[in-house]
Amino acid sequence: MSVSRLNLRKISPVPYLFILPHLIFFAVFIGYPFFNGLYISFFQYDYLRPEATTFVGLQNYTDLFRAGSVKFVEFWNSVRVTLTFVIYSVPFLVVIPLCLAVLLNSKLRGMNFFRTIYFAPWVLSCAVISLIWWWIFQSQGGLLNYYLKLLGLDTPRWLSTMPYAMISIVVATVWWTMGSNMVIFLAALQDIPAELHEAAQIDGANAWQTFTRVTIPLLRPVMVFIIITTIIASFNLLGQPMMMTRGAPAQPTGGGATEPVMLRIFTEGFVRPFQGSAAAMSVIVAIMMMTFSAVNFRIFRQRD
Amino acid sequence: MKTFARYAFPMLLILSMLLSACGTANTQAPVVETAAVAQPTAEAQKPQDTQACGVVELQYWNPFTGPDGPFMGEMVEAFNASHPDIKVTMTSQGEYYTQLATAAAADTLPDVAILHADQVATHAFRNMLRPMDDLVAEMGISGSDYPAGVWNAGEVAGRRYSIPLDIHPMTAFYNADLLKAAGFDAPPKTAEEFEAIAAAITSGDNKGFDITGGFPVQQIFQQMLHQFGGSEFNADGTEATWNSEAGIKALQWMKDVQSKYSEPNLEVDAELNAFKTGTVGMVWNGIWQTTNVTGSGVEFDGRAAAVPQIGPQMAVWAGSHQFTLPVHKKVDPCKDRAAAIFIKYMVENSVTWAKAGQIPASNSVRASAEFKAIEPQATIASSVEYAFFPPSVPGITDAYGPLGEAVGAVMNGTAPDIKAALDDAARRANEILAQNRATYGSAPKQP
Repeated sequence: MSVSRLNLRKISPVPYLFILPHLIFFAVFIGYPFFNGLYISFFQYDYLRPEATTFVGLQNYTDLFRAGSVKFVEFWNSVRVTLTFVIYSVPFLVVIPLCLAVLLNSKLRGMNFFRTIYFAPWVLSCAVISLIWWWIFQSQGGLLNYYLKLLGLDTPRWLSTMPYAMISIVVATVWWTMGSNMVIFLAALQDIPAELHEAAQIDGANAWQTFTRVTIPLLRPVMVFIIITTIIASFNLLGQPMMMTRGAPAQPTGGGATEPVMLRIFTEGFVRPFQGSAAAMSVIVAIMMMTFSAVNFRIFRQRD
Repeated sequence: MKTFARYAFPMLLILSMLLSACGTANTQAPVVETAAVAQPTAEAQKPQDTQACGVVELQYWNPFTGPDGPFMGEMVEAFNASHPDIKVTMTSQGEYYTQLATAAAADTLPDVAILHADQVATHAFRNMLRPMDDLVAEMGISGSDYPAGVWNAGEVAGRRYSIPLDIHPMTAFYNADLLKAAGFDAPPKTAEEFEAIAAAITSGDNKGFDITGGFPVQQIFQQMLHQFGGSEFNADGTEATWNSEAGIKALQWMKDVQSKYSEPNLEVDAELNAFKTGTVGMVWNGIWQTTNVTGSGVEFDGRAAAVPQIGPQMAVWAGSHQFTLPVHKKVDPCKDRAAAIFIKYMVENSVTWAKAGQIPASNSVRASAEFKAIEPQATIASSVEYAFFPPSVPGITDAYGPLGEAVGAVMNGTAPDIKAALDDAARRANEILAQNRATYGSAPKQP
């Protein structure tokens, strides 16, 4: 009797009911598309031409690893662009918000005003900020080059030459998304008990020592969280280059110098109607991101 | 930790929503919807053959989200006013071909849609368009009223899929004040005149001819390629042929004029913005830029003219908007007949459309006195006789991708060897063409 009652309690439906609303959305909008994407990556597939669907096995994948082919060059070029963007953007998106959060954590008048100001860009949509920065960076009559010229400085073609095109995208992105990381840091900073700082001061620590020896170690869990989410967010880069540079400048060997992998997948699947091959690209990118996250978790967990 | 949790979890939630939103939502351009309201007039209409159908409602989609949209809206209103038994609702939207592809999946395509000439074959093969040979015969529209190139662009695998509305050619814009100051009264018509004017204007901050490394350099290259006697593809669209002698000459010419008369490394639209500041003598761009860089759009005497003949033969790059009948699971003959009446009306009354900065495709409309009064379109109109269009094979626009990259790289100076860049682009285009043939087959599925 007692054993069966235990079993019954084990499969009690109540917890599942609690997660059901999310589970439904997850299944419909993430679970099903994920497995369907995996499935169609083995086909030559265009949803508008069901009669042309043919099973091609691993061909969509092998195409991406056939050195010298168009898909190979374009895909790996875009992966490289995305990784470059991650490397350039993530440090800024961690350090700048951290500095801002520390500054804004003081108890001066008007701090809420500044918090709002720094957070404000984050509420704008990708299209809006891309357009704003396009206007600032564009080379003829753009705000930045106008002032650079007034100061007698060089006026690079920000959106059509490298490395300026990538710099433009990184700057726009940092300005746009630093607010969200800042707020998280700020919340974490306010969680650090004031006694710890007081104790450090009594022990003779100066401000810098307090920061590096007390504040930073206590921010570690939040730091891990922010680094991981920022890497994932940066990996998903799409809108800014799509609207600011359209992938320009073109690479002589194929692809664009600022064409991220998400834009490549979009083009492959919707501009060229090769959804099977686009799905294969997505799977490869997903594997890369999962590996990345797993490594991240491992590194930070070991140190804890 | 409590405070942190209070902030962090809602933040996480919002973060995750916004992150996923940025992936897709922000790529949508704003949708401009222009609903034209039917205004039945008092004048009695001649009986239509749609009488048995009652009032037929037509959905009409186009990509005219720019300043040309209102002109199209005006034409639709005029049509609705003169046809009380047909009510056309126009929708202009951005990200147009993505919208069409998703509508096709949901069987919510409109009854009439505008497509660019180079997209007709692709959409026909993707089961989004219906052949309209019978309807065209019924309408009394024939190819003899159109330049051959633009008419042939609407024929896919031997069947007619579209009716041309307009031709929008590459156009030469010039700053008449700068030309006059340099001692020239008229825009160039030949290579010699072009060089003379560009050289005379280029001095100090002034540039004779600005050319970018982005759009529309690929189109300028195509034009020069044809002017030097070449072609992008062989006749059946199975092989890229732009790496010919003519292609090298064309790109070399562009590179030369860039180094002599242009700012280097300009991005898309930069030549237009520079032109608008009044420091550039000439630029080449699509005719749709007319209102932007001429007349009241600029503070100097900005004008538009037909592009000059640089090579041994005349050729002009052009695009074309064409009317098509999208696919529906259930075809309604009433709607098809109404659509035929609508398309015929729009083509015959495309003079209004000319005011939006386009050249009507129909020869008879271009010959009309009403059109000849519209400047500068009437002056530029002569060049559409020389317009060329890509072969109507599906996915042809993809095959232009490597060409655009190669031309852009050469113009931006990242690819120093012209021949090697064009060869490599041709090799890649051939690979794409082969992929397309394998994917699409030889003819669209017949509905």
